[in-house]
Amino acid sequence: MSMMAVAEQTETETVAEKKSPGKALWLLAPGVIWMTLFLVLPILMMVYVSFWTQTTFTIEPTLTLKSWITFFTSDTYLGALWTTVRIWLIVLVATVLVGYPAALFVGLFVKNKALQTVLLVLCVIPFWTSFLIRVLAWRPMLGKEGAINMILMNLGITDAPIEVLLFSELSVIIGMTQIYCVFMVGPIAFMLGRIDTSIIEAAQDLGAGFWRIFRTIILPLSMPGVVVGAIFVSVMVLGEFATSAALSGRKVNLLGNIIVTQVGSLKWAFAAVAGVVLTILMGAVVAALLRVVDLRKEL
Amino acid sequence: MSTVLQLKNITKTYGDMRALNGIDLALPGDAYISLLGPSGSGKTTLLRVIAGFEQPDGGAILFDGKRIDTMAPDKRGIGFVFQNFALFPHLSVAQNIAFGLENRDVEPSTDRRLIDAKVRDIISLVGLSGLEGRAVTQISGGQRQRVALARTLVTEPRMVLLDEPLGALDANLRARMRAELRAIRERCGVTFLHVTGSEAEALAMGDTVLVLESGRIAQSADSDTVYNRPASPAVARFLNCYNLFPGRIEGGAFVGGVGRFALGPAVTARSASPAYAIRYDRVSVRPRDAAITEDEIRIEANFVASEYSGAAVNSFFALDDGRVFEVESHLSHAAPETYAEQGRYALVWKREDALVYA
Repeated sequence: MSMMAVAEQTETETVAEKKSPGKALWLLAPGVIWMTLFLVLPILMMVYVSFWTQTTFTIEPTLTLKSWITFFTSDTYLGALWTTVRIWLIVLVATVLVGYPAALFVGLFVKNKALQTVLLVLCVIPFWTSFLIRVLAWRPMLGKEGAINMILMNLGITDAPIEVLLFSELSVIIGMTQIYCVFMVGPIAFMLGRIDTSIIEAAQDLGAGFWRIFRTIILPLSMPGVVVGAIFVSVMVLGEFATSAALSGRKVNLLGNIIVTQVGSLKWAFAAVAGVVLTILMGAVVAALLRVVDLRKEL
Repeated sequence: MSTVLQLKNITKTYGDMRALNGIDLALPGDAYISLLGPSGSGKTTLLRVIAGFEQPDGGAILFDGKRIDTMAPDKRGIGFVFQNFALFPHLSVAQNIAFGLENRDVEPSTDRRLIDAKVRDIISLVGLSGLEGRAVTQISGGQRQRVALARTLVTEPRMVLLDEPLGALDANLRARMRAELRAIRERCGVTFLHVTGSEAEALAMGDTVLVLESGRIAQSADSDTVYNRPASPAVARFLNCYNLFPGRIEGGAFVGGVGRFALGPAVTARSASPAYAIRYDRVSVRPRDAAITEDEIRIEANFVASEYSGAAVNSFFALDDGRVFEVESHLSHAAPETYAEQGRYALVWKREDALVYA
């Protein structure tokens, strides 16, 4: 009798075990529902709307390629696309150039873990002020009568204020590099921190100098960090509109600024075209970056 | 055999702790030397000082008669094999081994064919043929050990330091790698200095065994001498095969916690802390009423437990002062005896088998 009970119990357990993968799938349901409703559907909608017919104040669901043709024949839109790509590339390079040495210092040369954390938190401090205040704070810094020009003129280094500092592409690049640098420092410092000191000592013992070790050991081992940082920075810079609006005096138009103005003037179809182009661009950039290293293998 | 490495009064202090307390040492060329020390005895520090990863506070290191203690690690001609192997995780087996040849500051090899030939030779020397293209994350612990060794040997160092090289391997593999390491060394003809915390490993591997104890070299001799004639009670304790009694010598006898042991013509070694040592396997266990001869010493103790290890049985007895006394009986001599739990037995050994430090 009791034997029977045990056998029965074992059977139920086996059945339950067989069922469990199906049951576990339910864990995905909230995420899948959420993403479908608020990510996949809106994106599909955006693609759909980009083919609608746009008149001055209205938009009709009659399918047409007009908005797409307008986008790819207009100098304004193509110019914005080109500016977006150019500023993205420059900011990406600038964040690597500024961020990598900082990460190298924090991740490799600071041995004390507590101090490491403190330094990384210092990098995050700019985020404790609001985005708007941070961006606007650059104006008294870079303006014609701003701090930098005053100092340069008082020291006699320049006679006249350098006007290109504010309301130019340069000011947008300076502002964006400052804001997004930390997203580069974090992942790189994390990867560098994981490099075992004895690996570097081993390379030293085998006779390699610092730059050799950097090029052959440290750089390749930190590449996953650079790629993750680059993905963060790229996604954020490509979708940017606030920094360029606040620091360029509307002279620099990114795809993000185009979308904002088109939506503002109710040109939904154009906005959707720009949105689709931006989404494809981001997707391509992320895909390209992921080809650089196999993140699944490295992390 | 000529001396290759000489250390003169090397000291190294971390804060208040004296890691190295005046090390004097002369190591012969073309030999396998094991450096035995308990954890915290300063053995890793000593190795890192010789390699150049740490600067000594005082003293001199001479290699082939030239001072090297101010040189950078890579200029010393000394290879270092790390305990965790420290392989370059993003490079293949062959790339790891070729690293030193390709990337050293002094005379890097640019001739691909020469590098390939040297790498091939060393790969067959350490027995890694067929694994050249594998990632170092896809090979076993023993194979990684060989890569680490090959990577160092290919740069033709004049001496190789190994920091607990077998510590990361499982017991089975460790025994095999012991013989392998010795064979590889003989084929290369350079001196290996092998640091270990295991007395069995140190005795099995070293042509010369150095025993490091609280920052000093306590003994430097061949395995047989270290095992049979440890130079100090500390060395004896660390060898893990001696029962030690503290005490003092009084009128031709050693007075310890459990009685007076008459001294024979026994060897007496000098030591700051007097002690009496008797090896586990020199003691026999007898019933309490058994007679003893003139030259035997007898104490009584209660049986606690025994441990079977295949070739021998180790029995543990509690002495009257609470101390544990260990007896090792080799099973090739006699069938194992069973002792009564908490039973009182006589432990007997020959006077001249004891080592006396005073």
